[in-house]
Amino acid sequence: MDLWYLLFTLALVCANDSLSASDDLLRWPQISKCRSPELETFSCYWTDGNFYNLTAPGTIQLLYMKRNDEDWKECPDYITAGENSCYFNTSYTSIWIPYCVKLANKDEVFDEKCFSVDEIVLPDPPVHLNWTLLNTSQTGIHGDIQVRWDPPPTADVQKGWITLEYELQYKEVNETKWNKLKPELSTMVPLYSLKMGIDYEIRVRSRQRTSEKFGEFSEILYVSFSQIGVEFVHCAEEIEFPWFLVGIFGSCVLAITVILILLSKQPRLKMLIFPPVPVPKIKGIDSDLLKKGKLDEVSSILASHDSYKTQLYSDDLWVEFIELDIEDPDEKKRVSDTDRLLSEEHLKSHSCLGAKDDDSGLASCCEPDIPETDFSASDTCEAISDIDQFKKVTEKEEDLLCLDRKENYESLPSLANTDAQQPRVSTRSGNSQPWPPFAGSTDSASPLIHAQLSHQNTLTTTDFYAQVSDITPAGRVVLSPGKKSKMGRAQCEGCMEQNFTMDSAYFCEADVKKCIAVTSHEEEEPRVQEQSCIDNAYFTTESLTTTGINLGASAAEVQAPSSEIPVPDYTSIHIVHSPQGLVLNATALPVPDKEFNMSCGYVSTDQLNKMMP
Amino acid sequence: MTTMSNKGSSLKGLLVVVLLVSNILLTKEGVTSLPICPNGSVNCQVSLGELFDRAVKLSHYIHFLSSEIFNEFDERYAQGRGFITKAVNGCHTSSLTTPEDKEQAQQIHHEDLLNIVVAMLRSWNDPLIHLASEVQSIKEAPETILWKTVEIEEQNKRLLEGLEKIVGRVHTGETGNEIYSQWEGLPSLQLADEDSRLFAFYNLLHCLRRDSHKIDNYLKVLKCRLIHDSNC
Repeated sequence: MDLWYLLFTLALVCANDSLSASDDLLRWPQISKCRSPELETFSCYWTDGNFYNLTAPGTIQLLYMKRNDEDWKECPDYITAGENSCYFNTSYTSIWIPYCVKLANKDEVFDEKCFSVDEIVLPDPPVHLNWTLLNTSQTGIHGDIQVRWDPPPTADVQKGWITLEYELQYKEVNETKWNKLKPELSTMVPLYSLKMGIDYEIRVRSRQRTSEKFGEFSEILYVSFSQIGVEFVHCAEEIEFPWFLVGIFGSCVLAITVILILLSKQPRLKMLIFPPVPVPKIKGIDSDLLKKGKLDEVSSILASHDSYKTQLYSDDLWVEFIELDIEDPDEKKRVSDTDRLLSEEHLKSHSCLGAKDDDSGLASCCEPDIPETDFSASDTCEAISDIDQFKKVTEKEEDLLCLDRKENYESLPSLANTDAQQPRVSTRSGNSQPWPPFAGSTDSASPLIHAQLSHQNTLTTTDFYAQVSDITPAGRVVLSPGKKSKMGRAQCEGCMEQNFTMDSAYFCEADVKKCIAVTSHEEEEPRVQEQSCIDNAYFTTESLTTTGINLGASAAEVQAPSSEIPVPDYTSIHIVHSPQGLVLNATALPVPDKEFNMSCGYVSTDQLNKMMP
Repeated sequence: MTTMSNKGSSLKGLLVVVLLVSNILLTKEGVTSLPICPNGSVNCQVSLGELFDRAVKLSHYIHFLSSEIFNEFDERYAQGRGFITKAVNGCHTSSLTTPEDKEQAQQIHHEDLLNIVVAMLRSWNDPLIHLASEVQSIKEAPETILWKTVEIEEQNKRLLEGLEKIVGRVHTGETGNEIYSQWEGLPSLQLADEDSRLFAFYNLLHCLRRDSHKIDNYLKVLKCRLIHDSNC
């Protein structure tokens, strides 16, 4: 910007200098233009310059020469076209013939120009502009007009000597920029969509059809609609924002929203409009019950579902059980196992009962200081909630059994009813209960036996089977209640219960053999050892093995050294006395008859029948 | 029996062929649009007014193209070379006597004027052909100039044909000699000297513009006089 400013000042200074010295500098006369308005005449115009003042007032002449002429001729008319002009009328004008004109005085030639007349055509402006209203829009805001004019009078358009085209320009009165239309040949042009309340200005200019230069503009035509008395309604030019429509629309939306909200409150309509998506559900069980933790109700409902029973243990491949369903009225007196199970539910936390060591993976989610029986059938902690309850119940029963043994005879009558306790396997992992029938048949047995049996039965209700572990010289048949009973026995004897899986509730493990061996040779009433009767009746196999060793050591103190007699899982009936007694060969053949199932401690009823005389 | 059947089939085939050929011929006649026949015309052809309209349109188009070519050539090659022709070299059509102003154009007989126009068109036939071919040898000739010269050459032929038709309609007497000016400027277009060559092109294009304007004007005058009765 600074540079431009500097240059500008320099130019001004120079111009000033030149102007101040303008007397010295001559400006030569120049031919400014030569023009033919109608292709019939032409005229040339020049500028004087300052020469005229300085030198002698020599006349400046315009000389012209046609192509065929030999010398220069002087301008025929200096007047008609005005000052410093030369006018050539039709007689001097020849079209399509080259002319040369020069501006000179006697001494020198100032300027020279050569042209032909058809090249210098610049028509005059059109005349007689006027406009008429074509039609108005329905709203009365816009209108169409037609503008008409006449060609310049000098141009002979009618004979076709010259062809003109016209350019119309229009604008609103307040505007500064002209709107241009495309050049047209016709002298009538419509203007569409003009605003009725505004005045317009229109002007037209013309040119020869094949030329590029336009002539002068015509006079301006003023268009005012009020002049012709057109009714004009003053409407807003722009469409206003339709507030009314917006308000209506908004209210409708609000109403719809309110209706939807109201409908959603009513469940019936809500069901109708938004039907609930079916979710997996068990009949009769409300998910709220589970959420509230009312498992007793849930379990009762589940118990009523047969499918649940099988499902719970369906994947337990190791378990083969006979589902005994012997009705016993006395049983009703006792608290149902389910109740017992469920009553113990709150004793144990819902934390999953896991084993310290097991392969089922439950150890991760269980408290390490609570060794519990591991049920392989349960994969998740929650799944064994019922099993846990069962465990608790059985454990409690174990305790009960241990306690009962103390007051064996005292509570015998009370327990007499328990002899026929049916091993309902509905709520626990099913194991064969080979002995209950046997136990049931020994009603005529001695009360002690009964008690024992009842104990056994009691245990068998929680346990899977009972086996005769010893026969006292007094004729007592000591039946050990299988795993649990063994465990219980072991517990009473000081054995640590081992960790049993549901399927191996009856002894298959050799781990407990030491414990059993200890207990089997016992001829005394199984003593309850407090230390063993702990609430937590379930031990891991590890603890069992360790305790087994301990027990073996302790047992050695207590009783006769145990002989490593593998306690079979079953006992053969050696002598069947009269109803008074039953002599069972405690040391059963390690290999019983082949008929017997060598599977872990499980004697089928058929085998039992065979054993029985 | 077989010969009879053969004859019958051959006759049928011949009939079919005859029908087809006649159909083709008739439809061919029908394909070309039949314009409205002017009153009193023997032949059902395009009217004179329509012929003139077409001729005027063509002549205007030719003049428009030649103006543009000249302007482009002037702008590109003539600047700075001093081609401003103080005395334009005579065009080869100068030998033809043509009306030089409006009075002369109005006084001349329309048939003579038509003959002049036709002569001019014929005179330009040859130069235009050579112009279209020689322009391409100009160094870095713009594409617009090239195709415009070709276009002008084509349109000139069409205009000549149309005018010959008009002449056939208008002329009552004999058609007259076929006069036209011979163009001999081809060697100048092929000069070795670039400046001289370009000057020759400049002159030729200048003459073309002028003569096309002449032809356009004459035809318009004739049209207004003959068709619109001097009231365009």
